[in-house]
Amino acid sequence: MSEQFSRRDFLKLAGLGAATTAILTGCGPASRYVKREPYQQMPEYNSVGQSTYYATTCRECAAGCGLIVRTYQGRALKTEGNANHPLNLGKTCARGQATLQGLYNPDRVTDPNKAGAAMAWDAAIQVVADTLANYKPEEIAFLMGTAPDHLFDLVTDMANATGMNAPIRFGALSMFEARATLSKAAEEALGHFSLPWFDVGGAQVVLSFGANFLETWLSPVSYTRGFAGLREAKTKVRGKFIQFEARLSATGAKADEWVPLRPGTEALVALAIGKLAAEIRGGALPRVFSGVEPIDVAAASDVPLETLERIAGLVAASGGVLAIPGGPALGQSNGLAVAEAVLALNAFADNLGKPGGVYISGLAPAQVEYQRAASAQEMQELADKMASGAIKALFVHGVNPVFELPVSIDFKGAMANVEQVISFATFPDETSSLAHYVFPDHHGLESWGYQRVATGAAQPVLSGAQPVVSPFYNTRATADVLIAAAQLAGGKFAEALPYRDEVEFLNTKVAALMAEADGSFSAPEAVTFMAYFQQYGGWWKKSSALATPASDKALEQNIAAAEAEFSGEGEFFLVPFVSPTLAEAGANKPWLQELPDPTTTVMWNTWVEINPKTAEELGIATDDLVKVSSEAGEIQAYAYLYPAIRPDTVAIPYGQGHTAYGRYAENRGANPANLISGYFNEAGDLAFAGMKVKVEKISSAVSGAGLSRMESGMGVYGDFLGKEE
Amino acid sequence: MIKKIFDWLKQPLGLIAVGIVFLALFSAAAYGIYLTQQAPDQPVPEFPHKTHIAFGIQCLYCHPGAVKGPAAGIPSQAKCWACHNQIQKTMTSTKLAPLKDAVLNGQSLEWVPVAIVADFVQFNHRAHIAAGKNCEDCHGDLSQSTIYQNPQVFNMGWCLNCHIQAAGEDQVKLTKLSDCGTCHY
Repeated sequence: MSEQFSRRDFLKLAGLGAATTAILTGCGPASRYVKREPYQQMPEYNSVGQSTYYATTCRECAAGCGLIVRTYQGRALKTEGNANHPLNLGKTCARGQATLQGLYNPDRVTDPNKAGAAMAWDAAIQVVADTLANYKPEEIAFLMGTAPDHLFDLVTDMANATGMNAPIRFGALSMFEARATLSKAAEEALGHFSLPWFDVGGAQVVLSFGANFLETWLSPVSYTRGFAGLREAKTKVRGKFIQFEARLSATGAKADEWVPLRPGTEALVALAIGKLAAEIRGGALPRVFSGVEPIDVAAASDVPLETLERIAGLVAASGGVLAIPGGPALGQSNGLAVAEAVLALNAFADNLGKPGGVYISGLAPAQVEYQRAASAQEMQELADKMASGAIKALFVHGVNPVFELPVSIDFKGAMANVEQVISFATFPDETSSLAHYVFPDHHGLESWGYQRVATGAAQPVLSGAQPVVSPFYNTRATADVLIAAAQLAGGKFAEALPYRDEVEFLNTKVAALMAEADGSFSAPEAVTFMAYFQQYGGWWKKSSALATPASDKALEQNIAAAEAEFSGEGEFFLVPFVSPTLAEAGANKPWLQELPDPTTTVMWNTWVEINPKTAEELGIATDDLVKVSSEAGEIQAYAYLYPAIRPDTVAIPYGQGHTAYGRYAENRGANPANLISGYFNEAGDLAFAGMKVKVEKISSAVSGAGLSRMESGMGVYGDFLGKEE
Repeated sequence: MIKKIFDWLKQPLGLIAVGIVFLALFSAAAYGIYLTQQAPDQPVPEFPHKTHIAFGIQCLYCHPGAVKGPAAGIPSQAKCWACHNQIQKTMTSTKLAPLKDAVLNGQSLEWVPVAIVADFVQFNHRAHIAAGKNCEDCHGDLSQSTIYQNPQVFNMGWCLNCHIQAAGEDQVKLTKLSDCGTCHY
């Protein structure tokens, strides 16, 4: 500073300048002025300045968790779990929270349209009516998602009355969960064709063979609560958790011990543990375990014999042992054997129908039999029928098969052969963009409905849904469209759906529960009963309906204890896993895209998990672009060096790689379903974890490109610290 | 380099330049302050509070939120229309045209609330009504005015002044009413 211009003067001037800037950029009240748009007609039950809360059901997956949505001036602001709901007891997962971003998604389908050209609803309903009336019933197929159940019931009623094909339900989650395999194994080993329910919370030692039950598996919120019970050590000893899988999942990351077995050897390992445990315990060797030789299993599975013996010791000695089959372990050629072998371990541990053990999920209210979603093989059959021209009209609701099914099933090609494809999609997804007509349904938060809780709660639960906001766009409930169209089509269709609208249909179905005893509430007449149904967010029984599995079969089975077969020339096993944050339909929600993956912290992209040792051999570093190819196809994605994966395995998350589905999802990442061939296991589930792939480096990491993630490489690999040899 | 600039600025010409720049900055700042104090555009620019009050309509009839919550609220136009559709003038008056057009076309009137405080202030009408304050104590006598304007700036000094007066000699009350956490939590 010069003497003529002192520091003090400089500070004064600088201060004056800063103050001027601050005033100019607006500290005054004008900066806080916002436009308020009051109601045009305020509902009577609303009060200015106070929120209104509605109970409804989450529709982000089929589990059926209860939600309480806070609304203010007709806008939904926040979703939370419904504390009274027996399934989730006030909790939600990230996808439940992000359901709001589906509601407010800027890329929703706003009007009924024919290949993008908007049309009136009257014309749209006429199109549906003509389609129903002009095609033979056996030429019409309904493909529906795993939620909501009320629409499925409505279409089922229509199909039963008219001879139309029964509606087929499908969802990528049920494919990756291998629900068909699990329910078939439950039938063969436990005597009930249903979903088994695993009481994780009451167990002491949990052995999970690939089940990602803290992520997306069956009913993740309920199982996460169970897991908290396992770990809670106030009233009992803290439970132990061992995960068997080739690639450490977010669920596995919570385990005490990770057993990185060779993919395809899950059945052998389960049986070997059973055999060793039976030998420790003494007595007759159960027939189911007799076919394996632990030493050979140890060699085949890369699990040291000592490890098998140690775990067998736990199984033989402790009470409260629970074994869970799931995830990629079932999506293999021998998936059914894996499920049966693991269920046999439960029978050996004598936990069937006991606290901390395996139960059979009871039927939900108003349910006649357990209805699982279609397996991938059944979807292949549907696609074949469509391609051959046996199906001439296809209705699609709540599912996106063009994206969700592997390319090898070629649903897209099959759709091209269908004369009339009508989609009821809320979002412009891959399937609806190929449909002849799109007649958009409301978003789940704008909809009436109910969802049966298939598994996860002890008591039967019918979870109720109601609109929490008025529909934003010119959309219409698919149930209303079908009811109106059936009336127009006349004949058996009109007889099948003699309702004024969706709400009357719902009332008819739900009011039947009034006669049932042991309900969470009761009412003398239907109007009050329905009011309670909306108020509480559903109806459930007060006591448990879990069934005890038959215990005589599981240990007496003959399980073909062979390794799974793998197809393809490559040297790496491929483990496609459902992204714990995005699942199958979350990619269009920025909150979920921005949510770091629990194990890798990657956001907004697809990555290929490669063991650092393998990567070194192949000359691959994190953020390098790699090509993964199988006999079915190839994809490109960025490499992520992941120490918690076997060197002979690569893993890719499923959930990205959309070519449609709105601005947040499109042209982002890659879809590992493109690598999967159409091989099925005995239960008809896709052998999605039965592929071998090649990995090639395409180009080195470019600064500024690559994966967006939160972790620093420094903590994990010592990047920038100088490599230790 | 800097010294050279300062030397030049001390020349007469430099001083004039400094003066001009300073004047420009000062007037810009003054204009900025002036702008921040201007009332925003409202959908019905000459909304006459005085006429409504003269008809004997209570404040809480249109702004019922004041009695139970943070926001007094802006009435839905259904409430406006309940009276106005019985008033012949509504259909002919140009001043009432915004209301008529909005209601008949199913559009919303987008008001801009001006009796507002900063986001970090947790204001609630309820406690003030319960303490016996009347609307006009803070919002002024609206029986004489048209569109609402704040009678004073709602700043912390003004709030605190009243809080302290309300406490009087009562030390416990004074602590409660002058605690930061009473309004900032």
